[in-house]
Amino acid sequence: MPEGQIVGLAGESGCGKTTLGNALALIANPPLYVIGGTMEIDGEVIDMTTLAKDSNHVHRPYRGATVSLLPQGAMNAISPTLKIKDLVHDVMAAHDKSVTKAEAMDRATDRLKMLSMPVRVLDSYAHQLSGGMKQRMVTVISTLLDPKLLIADEPTSALDVSSQKQLIEMLLAMVDMKIMRGVIFITHDLPVLSMVTDRLAIMYAGKIVENGRTEDLVHNARHPYTSALLSAVLDPTLETRTKHVLGIPGSPPNLGNPPTGCRFHPRCAFAMAECGTKEPPVLLEGNHEVACWWAEKNPDTTVPMEVTLA
Amino acid sequence: MSTIPQAALTEEVIEPPVPSQTPAPGKNKPAWMSLNFGPRMIVSLAIIITIALLAFLGPLIYPYGPGEKIGSLYDEPTAQHLLGTDNFGHDVISVLMFSTRNSLINGLMAGTLALLIGVTIGILAGYVGGWVEEALMGFTNIVVAIPNIIILILISMALQKTDIGFFKGIGGLAFVIGITAWPWTARAVRAQASSVATREHIDIAKLSGARTPSILVRDVLPYLASYVVMAWVLQLASAILAESTLSMLGLGPSGVDSLGMQLHWALAFQAVATGSWWAFLPPTIVLTLISFSLLYLQASLDEVFNPRLRRGKKKDLAKAAARRAKAARALAEQNTKVEVLS
Amino acid sequence: MGLRRYLARKTLWYLGALVAAVMLNFLLPRLIPGNPVDVIVSQLGQGGLSSEAQQRIYEDFTREFGLDKPMWQQFLTYVENIFRGDLGKSFAFYPTPVKSLIGQALPYTLALQIPAIFFGWIIGNVLGAIAAYKGGAWDKSVFTTSLLFSSAPYYCLSIILLYVFAVVLGIFPVGGAYSLGTTPTATFEFFADASQYYWLPFLSLLLINIGGQAVGMRSMAIYELGSDYVNYSRSLGIGDRKMTTYIFRNAMLPQITGLALSIGAMVGGALITELVFSYPGMGFLLFGAISSSDYSMIQAVTLIITTAVLVANYLVEVLYGFIDPRIRAAKSGEK
Repeated sequence: MPEGQIVGLAGESGCGKTTLGNALALIANPPLYVIGGTMEIDGEVIDMTTLAKDSNHVHRPYRGATVSLLPQGAMNAISPTLKIKDLVHDVMAAHDKSVTKAEAMDRATDRLKMLSMPVRVLDSYAHQLSGGMKQRMVTVISTLLDPKLLIADEPTSALDVSSQKQLIEMLLAMVDMKIMRGVIFITHDLPVLSMVTDRLAIMYAGKIVENGRTEDLVHNARHPYTSALLSAVLDPTLETRTKHVLGIPGSPPNLGNPPTGCRFHPRCAFAMAECGTKEPPVLLEGNHEVACWWAEKNPDTTVPMEVTLA
Repeated sequence: MSTIPQAALTEEVIEPPVPSQTPAPGKNKPAWMSLNFGPRMIVSLAIIITIALLAFLGPLIYPYGPGEKIGSLYDEPTAQHLLGTDNFGHDVISVLMFSTRNSLINGLMAGTLALLIGVTIGILAGYVGGWVEEALMGFTNIVVAIPNIIILILISMALQKTDIGFFKGIGGLAFVIGITAWPWTARAVRAQASSVATREHIDIAKLSGARTPSILVRDVLPYLASYVVMAWVLQLASAILAESTLSMLGLGPSGVDSLGMQLHWALAFQAVATGSWWAFLPPTIVLTLISFSLLYLQASLDEVFNPRLRRGKKKDLAKAAARRAKAARALAEQNTKVEVLS
Repeated sequence: MGLRRYLARKTLWYLGALVAAVMLNFLLPRLIPGNPVDVIVSQLGQGGLSSEAQQRIYEDFTREFGLDKPMWQQFLTYVENIFRGDLGKSFAFYPTPVKSLIGQALPYTLALQIPAIFFGWIIGNVLGAIAAYKGGAWDKSVFTTSLLFSSAPYYCLSIILLYVFAVVLGIFPVGGAYSLGTTPTATFEFFADASQYYWLPFLSLLLINIGGQAVGMRSMAIYELGSDYVNYSRSLGIGDRKMTTYIFRNAMLPQITGLALSIGAMVGGALITELVFSYPGMGFLLFGAISSSDYSMIQAVTLIITTAVLVANYLVEVLYGFIDPRIRAAKSGEK
């Protein structure tokens, strides 16, 4: 993951975005287990498995300080009986026992001033803040320890449009200020993603099907699912307004029993014989990765967006 | 009733943070088939059924009747009379079976009556809302606040002096308990009903012109089914306890054997102080078993209906995870590795 | 909901409950067919009183109850008497005032109940929270034991404890509150003697209260364990111990309301525990009054218990209003 960039992770509901986010944030909790995988940040390798008994113990110091989570729906993310400033102190004390209340307050105050947010929110309970303010406050807390990687899990979904804009501007400002070195932005809201992110990964049924620079992906989609997802977005330009909106037929598969071969083939307009039997190869085209049989057969071709489905 | 541990009810009284998703009974496939009944439920059901069988079928084969005088005050257990005699010289086993039967019948009548009242009030309050809710719940809260046993004592005292036969018998006692024990159910049902009332299918039913009573019965009640079943189990337990408490105080119907009555006489005739354990331990144990198994049943039902309460065993989860790990490795060897994020 | 509105609502509810309780207390003895005074006087008559004395007592009672006046006036007299602290005279121990009999019994009940409820609540909540957090064998054993203690009727556990510890093992005395021959005085000897009699009823109440609270706390804490803030705090690296305090604090709030709701049950159950141990408190008094149809005594005892429970409930709910930040904060205005 390139430094100082925002990587988007998109896909339908229930495709495993949040699960992946939780695994990356090292908070996979039974019954969810991370079976394997490592994460390398600045040369430091973290074993992500949670099968071992002491994994919780091993992972705890990294949480919040190295990788941090910005959760979906900040509404309930703060304990209702806790003042924001107490949470701030608890977070800092969790990583450095010697931090005093005053030091924690100072740091939070500085951070809030940096982001031109009102300082008085520190003295409130979560329920006293508006939805947008709460989400921004949670963002500040998540990044308080300057985590190297921030996993933003649908931070904008529960907000109204103006709060969304404020939050995104704040995130961008934080990246500019180098508060965190990289962000993984999880959402199903493609317009937000294409606006914010540098790179984009598209997920379907628990797997990443396409991954590349945002521009490439939007203008040169190589996976039929990406293209279907993009075509489902309304774009108020004259060109697209005259077109028919195409949905994606069917619904995401049951992950307990996924389809054989390419997991998208039952809903894919370009499905071929091998799609149903063999897992598609991962093609690397410059900086652009795609896992698709159709893409292999049709190199350097953008998936046509408007296709009349038979 | 007063002796039920009402803290056990709090999870219902206080609306759970997330309303439990209760599936409405399906039309073609019985929903209960897919439920996961645990060992707790089997244990508690087994206890209840055993007790009920002994109480209802036991007297048919047991050679002594409950009113038969076969000895004197607190005769020790013998081979013929395994639990000896009570203060009247009656066979304790025989009295115990009749007592249990009467207590169960009483509990069933009173518990069901309380359930009906509670569900009706709860659904009306929760679904209709507004001032109806305010008034009904205000009334309910008043009844909750006054110690139940006090109301029971006062009413049953008044009824004991009436000339109406019904009120003097076991039915009268059941009636008194039934009309005083409903508030808990009403509170629990109201909380659920008001969350159901905001669901979309209710709007659809309204838009399609269904009348309120039919919406209540056909669209609201099925969603509360699990709660009603649990409330019924609790009401049974509390009604049985209420009956025994009143009987123990000497306010039960005279001349009717019941578990509380047995204890009443045992205390009155110094069974504990004289060490005549056979006179007081059997009814004590039966009462405890009945109420424990009913509450245990309720707790296991709760786990069936609210999966969040279910605690998986760590061992099982680790095993399942290991199994999955194996499968994943096998899969990874077959396929080209997909880099998630580099 | 603002604090002021919350308090006003609670006050209204409890005033309503109090009025209902007083009316119930007033009405029910009057619903008994036949004039209660007749019943009483005939009872007294069996004690060999002269007909002249009976006539005097009859008039005394008729005046006291105001039975010659219309119902609403009787009610007013009744309420007025209560406010003057006049609870009437005992029928069974005529002419001892009910008040003095209650005055002797009340300290025993208070000494038994207040510590049992208070410590039971605290220990029960801690145990329940630990059970929920630790899970596994801890959870299973705490939950099952708590359910067993709390599901058994109060007197069942009492009877078993009494039998095992007093009759079989002989560790504690069998019944009563102090040894025969001693009189209740404020001396050290008396307290030492009385404390021997105190432990058994106290422990049986305590165990039951612990059980009931632990069961409730466990379910609340399990709900809290699955909530968003737990997940988020975990992702911030906050340790398990800190998180337990978060969970405890949040699960505590419904437990406070739970306490308010169960005080009535606890008190009711404890009355019967006194009976088992022949402990000379309010429950014992009530039991005696019921068996001797001592209506004025029954009325007074039920009234006092109801009032005490309502007041306790009310105080707990007021306390809750001050503790829960969601209610309290609304008072200081929007932020």
